[in-house]
Amino acid sequence: MENIIVINNLYKSYGEVKAVQNLSFRVKKGELFAFLGLNGAGKSTTISIMCGQLKKDKGSVEINGMNIDEHPAQIKRELGVVFQNSVLDKPLSVEQNLKTRAALYGIEGEAFDARLKELCDTFDLWDILKRPIGKLSGGQKRRVDVARALIHKPSILILDEPTTGLDPQTRKAVWGIIEKLRKTQNMTVFLTTHYMEEAADADYVVILDAGQIAAEGTPLELKNEFTGDYITLYGAEESEVQKLGKPYEKTADGYRVEVENTQEATSFILQYPELFEDYEIVKGKMDDVFLAATGKSLGGENA
Amino acid sequence: MKENSMYEMKACGALIKRNVHMFFKDKGTFFTSLITPIILLVLYATFLYNVYEDSFASAFPPGTPIDEELLSGLVGGLLLASLLAVSGVTVPFCANLFMVQDKVTGARNDFSITPMKPHSIAISYYFATVINGLIVCFVALGAGLIYLACIGWYLSLADVGLLFLDVVLLVLFGTALSSVICYPLQSQGAMSAVGTIVSAGYGFICGAYMPLSQFSVGLRNILGFLPGTYATSLIKTHALQGVCEEFTAQGYPVDAVKEIKDVADCNLYFFENAVPTWVSYTVLIGSIVLLIGVFVLMNVLSARTKTKNEK
Repeated sequence: MENIIVINNLYKSYGEVKAVQNLSFRVKKGELFAFLGLNGAGKSTTISIMCGQLKKDKGSVEINGMNIDEHPAQIKRELGVVFQNSVLDKPLSVEQNLKTRAALYGIEGEAFDARLKELCDTFDLWDILKRPIGKLSGGQKRRVDVARALIHKPSILILDEPTTGLDPQTRKAVWGIIEKLRKTQNMTVFLTTHYMEEAADADYVVILDAGQIAAEGTPLELKNEFTGDYITLYGAEESEVQKLGKPYEKTADGYRVEVENTQEATSFILQYPELFEDYEIVKGKMDDVFLAATGKSLGGENA
Repeated sequence: MKENSMYEMKACGALIKRNVHMFFKDKGTFFTSLITPIILLVLYATFLYNVYEDSFASAFPPGTPIDEELLSGLVGGLLLASLLAVSGVTVPFCANLFMVQDKVTGARNDFSITPMKPHSIAISYYFATVINGLIVCFVALGAGLIYLACIGWYLSLADVGLLFLDVVLLVLFGTALSSVICYPLQSQGAMSAVGTIVSAGYGFICGAYMPLSQFSVGLRNILGFLPGTYATSLIKTHALQGVCEEFTAQGYPVDAVKEIKDVADCNLYFFENAVPTWVSYTVLIGSIVLLIGVFVLMNVLSARTKTKNEK
């Protein structure tokens, strides 16, 4: 797959504060790319540079084959951004908001009408089209936010913590829409999130810490590198679990044993088949990867 | 190149339309912008009307019979002029606060990720504020003219034309001044503070609540440095010119008419020197140009600040 975003040796400082230091990464076309980091890690700075809102100190940013220094306006047409909080005008209706934003990309008249119809069909906006944004529920607002981000048919959708503060049902609905877009339109999605389970579904993950890359890879690669596997044994006696000689914890229905990797789990199964009548083996979580890679939990505390 | 300019113009137009829409849809901001004119109307309805009627009547020698319609036309003209003088500044100020509100809500970020150039966004705020100010002031002027027609009409067509010109210039001035003041504001608190101070204070310093002639000499001299003073004086001059001429035509003492003009600030003095009308226009237009220049400079410097670390 070809790279749609190529960032090389990016630097940005605010006075003495080094927001981004020597940052380099690639995003492939059609990929779900997760950009993780605590507040102040440099995520927003990187996105602002990509969107042309902030000038970099050094380095290069290429989007869809265009250098941001040479083609800032064209690059802006390639990007659609869903901000953490809805930035649409609350007193205006959904249609008025979309019409204004479309005009800022030069989409007017019949072209707008056609695009509006597509978006209303995709995001089920017909019933709320005439309603003011301020009167919509959180989930409805989010649907309109995504529709606004896609009004000009960008090739990359940037989601800046899009599900923060949303209830689980709405989060699920938002992800349903994003998945649909990826499948039907091969859209590249650049995601920043605090929800590690969302990052676990990404094709590639970059973990940022203090403006630098702390770890990167596919979720599987990261889990293999930074965490072990976990065996959950159901219906086993504690004395039998102790035989494994590995750290464990009691759960509601059994015991959760931490092992080095899948090979070690396999060897235990072969060695103690009587213990493994009812069990499951899972990889470590992305939270564990984040903690291992940065030494910080997503709550912001040092480990 | 031509296509780009066309795009910028259309995008600018769309943003102007949005900003105008927002002002009239946001009832809170809209009514806040009308607080000062409403206060003025209440003051006139409760006591200022009578105070001015008595004050103007006392300018004539005791026992002089005064035409009631002329007197009503005079006080009504002063009310209209005062109303326009405050609205021309406070309405643009409140309308321009959307520039700050958009920073607070993040809408400004949403505009800056579009291909629109930053200066086009700044221009759209300026023109939207001008349009909002003009709509409100022209409605006020229209209503005021109807009111004058009911109580005593003495304006010539030229006076009406000049009143429209004065309102346009005052709105341009109010917009330029508010653009400069609102541009650096970043928070809701700062926005509220500026809105409150302007709404509460401008009626006094422009001489709408009380003519400057009633202030102490020192304060009058200080207020002479404010360009808004000249705009107020121009509006008062053109709103009262017809009725003052009618007083003279009907044989009322010239000195008394001059005193009325002095009391109503139609005759403006800067350190005891009479200020001719053309000087008032020069000061007003000059300050508009200067303030727009400062606003442009602020935008340029802001863009440079963002890029100063670029190597």
